[in-house]
Amino acid sequence: MKDQKKSILSFEDVHTGYGDREIIRGFTAAFDAGEFVGIIGSNGTGKSTLLKCLSGIIPVTGGKITIEGRDNASLTQRERSRKVAVVPQSFAIDYDFLVEDMVMMGRNPYLGYKDRESTEDWKIVDHAMNISDTKKFRGRLFNELSGGEKQRVIIARAIAQQPDILLLDEPTSALDVHHQIEVMEMIETLNREAQMTVVAVLHDLNLAARYCRRLVMLYNGRVVADGTPKEVIVEHNMELLYDMKMLIRQNALFEKPEIVPLRVLDHQPAANPLHVHVICGGAGACKVLDELKSLGHRVTAGVVNQGSDDWLMCKDLGIDRVEVAPFTTIRWEDQKKNLKLMADADVILVADVPFGNGNIENLTGLETLNGALYVHQSVVYNDYTGGGVQRRLDAIAKKHTLHYVSDHDEFLEAVRNLPEKGKLSATSQ
Amino acid sequence: MKKCVKKYAVPLVIVGCIALIYICTLIGITTIPFGEANRVLFQEIFHIGSPENINPGYTAIIWNVRLPRVLLGFLAGGALAVCGAGFQGIFKNPMADPYILGVSSGAALGASIGIVLRFGSSFMGMGGTAVLAFAGAFATILLVYRISRVGRRVPVATLLLSGIAVGQSLSALMSLLMIFNVSSMDQIMFWTMGSFNGTGWDQVLLVLPFVIIGCILMFTAARELDIMLLGEDTATQLGVDTERLKKKVLFTASLITAAVVSVSGIIGFVGLVVPHVVRLFTGPKHRRLMPVALVCGGAFLVLCDTIARSVASQEIPVGIITAAFGGPFFIYLLKKQRRGL
Repeated sequence: MKDQKKSILSFEDVHTGYGDREIIRGFTAAFDAGEFVGIIGSNGTGKSTLLKCLSGIIPVTGGKITIEGRDNASLTQRERSRKVAVVPQSFAIDYDFLVEDMVMMGRNPYLGYKDRESTEDWKIVDHAMNISDTKKFRGRLFNELSGGEKQRVIIARAIAQQPDILLLDEPTSALDVHHQIEVMEMIETLNREAQMTVVAVLHDLNLAARYCRRLVMLYNGRVVADGTPKEVIVEHNMELLYDMKMLIRQNALFEKPEIVPLRVLDHQPAANPLHVHVICGGAGACKVLDELKSLGHRVTAGVVNQGSDDWLMCKDLGIDRVEVAPFTTIRWEDQKKNLKLMADADVILVADVPFGNGNIENLTGLETLNGALYVHQSVVYNDYTGGGVQRRLDAIAKKHTLHYVSDHDEFLEAVRNLPEKGKLSATSQ
Repeated sequence: MKKCVKKYAVPLVIVGCIALIYICTLIGITTIPFGEANRVLFQEIFHIGSPENINPGYTAIIWNVRLPRVLLGFLAGGALAVCGAGFQGIFKNPMADPYILGVSSGAALGASIGIVLRFGSSFMGMGGTAVLAFAGAFATILLVYRISRVGRRVPVATLLLSGIAVGQSLSALMSLLMIFNVSSMDQIMFWTMGSFNGTGWDQVLLVLPFVIIGCILMFTAARELDIMLLGEDTATQLGVDTERLKKKVLFTASLITAAVVSVSGIIGFVGLVVPHVVRLFTGPKHRRLMPVALVCGGAFLVLCDTIARSVASQEIPVGIITAAFGGPFFIYLLKKQRRGL
């Protein structure tokens, strides 16, 4: 209860939507003055609806929103717009307003029907344009500005409202990288120096993680995670939210979690789930590992050096692997473990990996295996052992059929055409 | 220089308008000597000179027919242009004009009933036809508003569509009425094309309060109408009570329009085109747009009406003139500006 008194903005079990369609289904959160909160969630989870509800465009159908101790429903538009300013997602207009006219519209909540803009209002507008660096085009037409400049003008208008809370609806979605960072830094400055509480709906998870000190994750109209970016941006949250495979790693530069979207979760597994073993260890097998896994095959790998890109991929995808310490030579003992892992493999792929004296042992003993053997052609050219790879492959070819493939897609195509598990060994015998 | 123009803009415009009204009063199908016409005006306005020297026929034409008619034209044109600007503002739609919600059809149906039933008796200085036209217009706007209302809100799109639907239905009723009363058809047709024929001081005094109070109310909505152009959601977030503003502009503009239409019939084009033309020069800010539209709309209609009553021996409905001159002029401006509205 104590926390609620202190908070500038709080939602208690808020329900809202359009007509019969309920979008927000019990949203509860409280924000303190001076916070910089990001609201994240996939398309259609109700982020923008929440902002609309907060800014009084659609009413709550249940629960309560409290702004600075007052029930949102009891506030008039004028009262609310003095406390809360909104930077909307789109601001296309068909009319030729000057930039300064646009910013002056932010003073509307303070002006009555009969009032003219006072010098005080002009001072505030001037100040807002200084902060947002828009003064240099005050006399130009708003429609002639670039996307980034327009966004700054809209932010200037919000500043002119002198709000305590600044709501932003995907402020960077239409901007290039330069303007994204520019806008986010401007918002950060407002938050830090003007003590404005910032609540931003953000699509870009990396920007959200980098600038927001707190993230609220929305899913199906409810809060599923609320905390620091480190607490919220974790794998199972991301998979729930976006229904896709994400790689989350620590960004060393900003010391914030960083998301690398891998692929949309595929719910249609291959008709013939097989055990595929991939001999890799460089950087060339990441994609084929990911695709094999997504097709529902049992994927194993080895022998991989820890720290290599292929190893990282195996780790993130949870692929069984034989691994050795970084930059160490693969010995026969390691390869024996590898052979054991691929003993019952239906298919073995020697992926696009450069061979040198450190990893040539990876090719030892392949002729003893039952599974079909596929070799990426480039291994012959990326040979740093002085012809050792070709010699070994030729030796294997004497005892076991070798299929050469020119790229990994050809390999995947071949795997697709293989018969089901069990039938394979029967046909090869 | 620019400041100088700004400073003297208002008096210059007022002098210009008086000059226009004066000149148009002198022009007409009956040629009246310049000196005689002036003497009539001086006598009637300032009571200077001796009434015995003036031809009573001239007094009747100048003072009782032409001057009120010119003034009424100015009021009607200005009011329609201001209403058009207001409607275009709340609907954010360049096609909007004062008649878009079916006010004109309601008025026309009312007037047709009046004409068919031969309502000669007058009511508070108004002809029975005018009373019925006003009632029809006002009833229509109430009906459209009721149909469109969803709870506390009146969505703009619904309002436009129900306005068109109601308007079409009422027009159909009017046509039906005409078919069964072929004898009145000419009169009804003439009415729907708009004319100031036969108007006098009574009509001026009747419309004047509507226009003055209405325009003042419209001007007080200027800033909020600007913000409304950014869309209803944004306007809400900038502190505009959009529902109240819509109600205010809708009813004010419709009342003004109903009053004007009831005395003049349906004069098209002024309310649609004048705000657009003015916007090309003043920009979209209503604080400048609406007063300039008032003056330009007034002047435009006075000129059109002068043409309507002067070029041929038979009077041409002024609605034909406004469309015939306004349309090509507007197209010329559009081409010249090479940009959208």
